[in-house]
Amino acid sequence: MSKSSVEAFQVMKNVAQHPDDYLTQWKNRHQQPVIGIFPMNFPVEIIAATGALPVIIQDSREPISEGNTILAEFYCGFTRSIADQTMKGQLDIFDAFMNADHCIQLLGAVDVVREMLSDKPVYFEHLIAAMDDSWTKDQVQTKIHAFIAEAERVTGTTISDEALTRCIESNNKNRQLLRQVFEARRNGDAQFSPGELQTMIVSSMIMDKDEHTALLETVLAEASTKPRDNRVRLHLSGHFCHAPRVELFDLLEECGAVIVDDDLYTGSRYISTDVKESLAPRAALADWYFARNENIPCPTRVQKTVNWDEYLINALENSGAEGVIVLMAKFCEAHMFYYPELRKALEANNIPHLLIETEHEGMPEETFRTRVEAMIERIRRKSSSRTTAKELAQ
Amino acid sequence: MSNAKQSSVNRLKSNDAGRHLISDYWDRIFTANERNAQVVWYNGAALNPIFQAAGLEWAHGEAFAARLSAQRLEKSAQLAAQEFGYVGELCSYARTHLGAALLAKQAREKFDKGIVDNADRDDLAARLPMPNFIVNCYAGCSTGQQWDDFTHRLLGKDIPIFNVSLPFLWGNRADAGYLKGKEWEEASDYVADQLYKLIDFIEVQTGRPFDWEALREGMTHIKQAAEIRREAMAMCANMPAPATFWDWIASVAHINFLPAGPELVDYFSKIHEEVAQRIASGESAIKDEKYRLYFDGIMNWNKLGTLAKLFAERKVAVVAGRYTHKPFWQEPQLIDTDDPIRGMAQHYLLCPTNHGFQTIKDFTKNDCEFYGLDGIVFHSTRTCRAFTGPQQMLARAMKKEMGIPSIFFEGDVADESFYKGELLESRLEAMLEAIDVRRSRNFIASN
Ligand code: SF4
Ligand code: SF4
Repeated sequence: MSKSSVEAFQVMKNVAQHPDDYLTQWKNRHQQPVIGIFPMNFPVEIIAATGALPVIIQDSREPISEGNTILAEFYCGFTRSIADQTMKGQLDIFDAFMNADHCIQLLGAVDVVREMLSDKPVYFEHLIAAMDDSWTKDQVQTKIHAFIAEAERVTGTTISDEALTRCIESNNKNRQLLRQVFEARRNGDAQFSPGELQTMIVSSMIMDKDEHTALLETVLAEASTKPRDNRVRLHLSGHFCHAPRVELFDLLEECGAVIVDDDLYTGSRYISTDVKESLAPRAALADWYFARNENIPCPTRVQKTVNWDEYLINALENSGAEGVIVLMAKFCEAHMFYYPELRKALEANNIPHLLIETEHEGMPEETFRTRVEAMIERIRRKSSSRTTAKELAQ
Repeated sequence: MSNAKQSSVNRLKSNDAGRHLISDYWDRIFTANERNAQVVWYNGAALNPIFQAAGLEWAHGEAFAARLSAQRLEKSAQLAAQEFGYVGELCSYARTHLGAALLAKQAREKFDKGIVDNADRDDLAARLPMPNFIVNCYAGCSTGQQWDDFTHRLLGKDIPIFNVSLPFLWGNRADAGYLKGKEWEEASDYVADQLYKLIDFIEVQTGRPFDWEALREGMTHIKQAAEIRREAMAMCANMPAPATFWDWIASVAHINFLPAGPELVDYFSKIHEEVAQRIASGESAIKDEKYRLYFDGIMNWNKLGTLAKLFAERKVAVVAGRYTHKPFWQEPQLIDTDDPIRGMAQHYLLCPTNHGFQTIKDFTKNDCEFYGLDGIVFHSTRTCRAFTGPQQMLARAMKKEMGIPSIFFEGDVADESFYKGELLESRLEAMLEAIDVRRSRNFIASN
């Protein structure tokens, strides 16, 4: 990699690790508001079209202390981290907050933000979760208009169709570039590690999209394909609202696995769907919501014609993954509901899989290692030409 | 006091007398398939008057999970759910009901193959009749909607399902609040509109026109029963309280899902009468009431008797609670019996898990004031994130704004493994001591 490429990647890494520095600089440069967005379905183009910066709020690596005194300890780590960051003043940098998702734990955390940062607008419109009903499309369209009106109110800027179209294009371009990287991985390219891909996604969630795209272009311009070795190929499934710990990816690789695909939110799910440029922009944003759920089913939604298990089996066929690690953020109910269905489908297709529950703090590394090694060994026995972890280390 | 021999818990007799209404209802449910009655499974809001008017049998998922737990018969269903792959942290109502659905499905398949007779289903958890269709109408909590979706999926995806989407009353605008503002009016219309669509769906499922007159009649009974119930509850502002939270818990089934008819009105009239009589004669719900508390949290069905006793023995009257006082047709004035749909829609939106924190704080304050309460007990309901969401903020706000102390204890709706009894006892005793200290300080200051 050239110096410029290394530097571009380092910028993304810094943003992913220290969003506040970037946000402070961005605010100084642009003199525009920064708006905190809660995952996973808010159309950020609406905020960008006002000139403000939409930022998908990240889980903090800091241990949760005060967050546990304002939300119950059996809330998912992401929501307690949001509460914690709120109590510690770490979300003060945001000028307003918006949320379109209805997970009850997320709503609890957003209500903490509203109560504790009572001088800031905290807006919620529920993008209806039952996707099949005859009135859902109209209702979603109404909510998109409501978000637009609120974004206009909060920023004092009228949103034109032209501005929306421009933001849709720039977000699409960013998603397309990221998808290229993921697609290459699926097809056997191992040049980027899972941690590096996560850095790209998280920084995209935070940064101005054009800036991010420019960095990505620099990195990709010089990237050369690196064929993956014949370690056991795994798919990572699940883990919504926040990024899994990179240490977990490292552990999987140390055990002799190579990650070839995922449906994580801080992964393929985030970039799965473009907003259609062929439609009028406001209608296109509503359409995006439905298209996303069809591309990678979201367990917080209900849709009869869409099945996550079918999606997963197809994805495995496409990538050639031989096993699945289900990463479940502890206490994430949407995932708990879906897991048995996934398990059944994987078992019916004779695909080895392992459920790993993650918590915000503390990773029982050795326990995970033993379980992952056992699974990998099982897969390896099926096919004798595998590179072992030991061989790799040599 | 007239009742020197009363034990620490003095339950309303009229509640006991109305128990048969519950068992009659469940008997009807368990025999529905044999009678070739059409059955709907539903969760969340009290849609039962609509089902009743449509000539259906209605089985409420939460109610069944609660019944199993209250009778300590929930384990087999929970085991079935666990074997299927549900994690123990999943809402225990959902987990128990999904397990019951699995057991009922297996039993039905065996029956259809002639392997067993229906009478062989001695495990209560396996006795739910298979539904002809499912209706979901869950306020506030996203878990409710996922749960029915998975019931639909595990029963084979071919049973029709209808979702009523209830918008969360978040309160985006300055005019928003309990029963007021543009958000409230728009949400009311939106849900009412869906209820009309639900009725169209039911007409298709039953193959007969909906009986609007029957709905009007049913809602007339519900409105009367609800008015009487609310009045009787309000009489508990009397000191000592003539009835407690546990008495209102015992009548939740009646107001929430039993058939709407004259028996319902009669049942609540008798409760009203008994409450009034107790006030007249000075009879209290617990012996030597000394403290008055509020219960915040969904019910712990495994521990009904234990909890009622635990508080009563410490001279604590638990007078009101978010679970008993804020849902269940609690604003009967909203119901227009000639044209009941909008008022029904509004009640479905009023579930106490469907409001932002500010509204919850306001109505908790009002209840604490109205009933003259000394403190709050928070049931930090382990697998119900809907009820627990605002609790810590509520505890802080009530302390700060009203000087009302509170304690937390962990338990659950239908999984007793989460119950921490010793913690509750020691925290309760500490809070009562603090109340004593505050009272003596106030007494000294006023002299
Ligand atoms: S969807 Fe899961 S991870 Fe996201 S906020 Fe809800 S519980 Fe947490
Ligand atoms: S978590 Fe609570 S409110 Fe939600 S479905 Fe379960 S019992 Fe109902």
